[in-house]
Amino acid sequence: MKLRRAVEVGVRHFVLCAASLVVLVPIAYVVIASFKTIPDFFANPYGLPEEWAWQNYVSAWRDARISITLTNSIIVTATAVSVSTFLAALISYGLSRRERPLAMFLYTFFVSGLLIPVQMIILPLFVLLRQFGLLGTLFALICPYIAMGLPLGVLILTPLIATLPRDLSDAGRIDGASELQIFLHIILPVLRPGLASVVILNGVWMWNEFFIPLVLALKADTQTLPVGIMSFVGTYNTEWGLIFASVVIATAPVVIAYILMSRQFVAGLTAGAVKG
Amino acid sequence: MTALQRRLRQYGHLWFTLPGLVFFSVFLVYPMLTAFRLSVVDWNGLGNESRFVGLDNFREALTSVTFYRAAWHNIVIFLAILVVQHTIGLFLAVQLNARPRFMEVYRTILFLPVILSLVATGFIWTLILSPNIGILNPFLSDIGLGFLAQPWLNDITWALPSVIVVQAWNHLGWAIVIYMSGLQNVPRELREAAQIDGANGWQRFWNVTFPLLSPAFTSLTVITFIQNIRVFDVVYVLTGPIGSPAGRTDVLGTLVYRMAFGAAGVTSADIRFSYAIAIAVLIFIFMLICSTGLLYGLRRREVEA
Repeated sequence: MKLRRAVEVGVRHFVLCAASLVVLVPIAYVVIASFKTIPDFFANPYGLPEEWAWQNYVSAWRDARISITLTNSIIVTATAVSVSTFLAALISYGLSRRERPLAMFLYTFFVSGLLIPVQMIILPLFVLLRQFGLLGTLFALICPYIAMGLPLGVLILTPLIATLPRDLSDAGRIDGASELQIFLHIILPVLRPGLASVVILNGVWMWNEFFIPLVLALKADTQTLPVGIMSFVGTYNTEWGLIFASVVIATAPVVIAYILMSRQFVAGLTAGAVKG
Repeated sequence: MTALQRRLRQYGHLWFTLPGLVFFSVFLVYPMLTAFRLSVVDWNGLGNESRFVGLDNFREALTSVTFYRAAWHNIVIFLAILVVQHTIGLFLAVQLNARPRFMEVYRTILFLPVILSLVATGFIWTLILSPNIGILNPFLSDIGLGFLAQPWLNDITWALPSVIVVQAWNHLGWAIVIYMSGLQNVPRELREAAQIDGANGWQRFWNVTFPLLSPAFTSLTVITFIQNIRVFDVVYVLTGPIGSPAGRTDVLGTLVYRMAFGAAGVTSADIRFSYAIAIAVLIFIFMLICSTGLLYGLRRREVEA
């Protein structure tokens, strides 16, 4: 029996290690490839670089214009995720007395936004943003992202606010606080874990989103990282070291955040997936 | 207090939804309604000439070989990934749920691909599969398996399976965490009771644990369906907007993109904005019908602990 148990544990670790390698080896190769010179790719395809070409990162920053697309990605994601989460919290607070028919209707209205496929709205959105004169600015991405982040935010935050004890806001009301003050100073602070889930969920897709900026970021200097890298590939598709250096730069922020807070990431993303 | 003031107070909370409602309506609901309107006209995306053509765009899509080929590829990708999720994903979730040492480390690693962008994922696998710089083919020939080397992404037979592997690699983490949270809802006592009744490990899993995982099975199936009916990024990065080679990896997402914005090999005369929107509307209707059907069908077989 004891032997059987040991074998079982051994097999389990073997399986999990094998699966982990399937995940890690391809990622490790991209990091290695980002330090290779072009001849290196062909001379030793799966070995370490002969000479570590830090130059790839320098040229990615300058020639592949990663400095611009990285800045755009940061601005777009940070603005959209914070505005969207704040607005979602406001909506959820407004809808927290869900017994009112109008509130119930609005809740369903917002949450059903999850079903709208981006392929269907992207073309009308393109036309709309062109009419507004927003095409060619970062707002062409920020505004739709804010709207698209709302359904998940409302879905996660409304039930959380509904479970808060009513005494909490009543206490504020007795002290003479306005509804807005109650929201800002009483509701938002206790909502922090839920807000974190929403920020992670929406932040990850906004940072990684490719299709929307591919269509809507018309000018080269409004592109975000994924599109910037792709368009660079179109122009210089032999500069592999440089391309992989760009991929590493684009991916590192999310991966670092994930490693630091993996528990919150897994919890937040699963909550969104299971509910969505 | 006047009646109006009382009214305002009563609905006071609802005013908080207003700023969000503006964004939501302008940038999500209005485009959605516009999509339906634009799908019944003939418009190339520029100027304002548009002729009402009724359901012609839909009729054309539903009689076009390209449309069905793309839809078929979506279905193949969905089914293949579904199998991977419900077998490998479930198996790994069960292993993790046994709480081995370093469980957190394993879980962090196995979930990692989910947070990588599909563009990054595409490049990671380009480095492995590309006939040019790929590391898989030279590796195969160095270990004496050179006969297995393929121009993977450029090969008519292997291109679609390659796309599936890449998409599955990126999405497997979902299956693992969704099944793990499902497994936590399986009461220990039930499995122990079955053990006392003489059920072996496999019987315990198949007759006790697996039926209790049916809610996880349902949500994972529906999520996988929605994700893969919309698949675009991986195909675009790996095999381009025309679904090379010879359209063997063309999916609905790339078809819509190509029809609206063109691609190499598509002349500007071929660009048909409203036809692209009509296809997108068809995808939406198909997605709505199938995911409701899946939800309804799968919910019925769910059991409670």
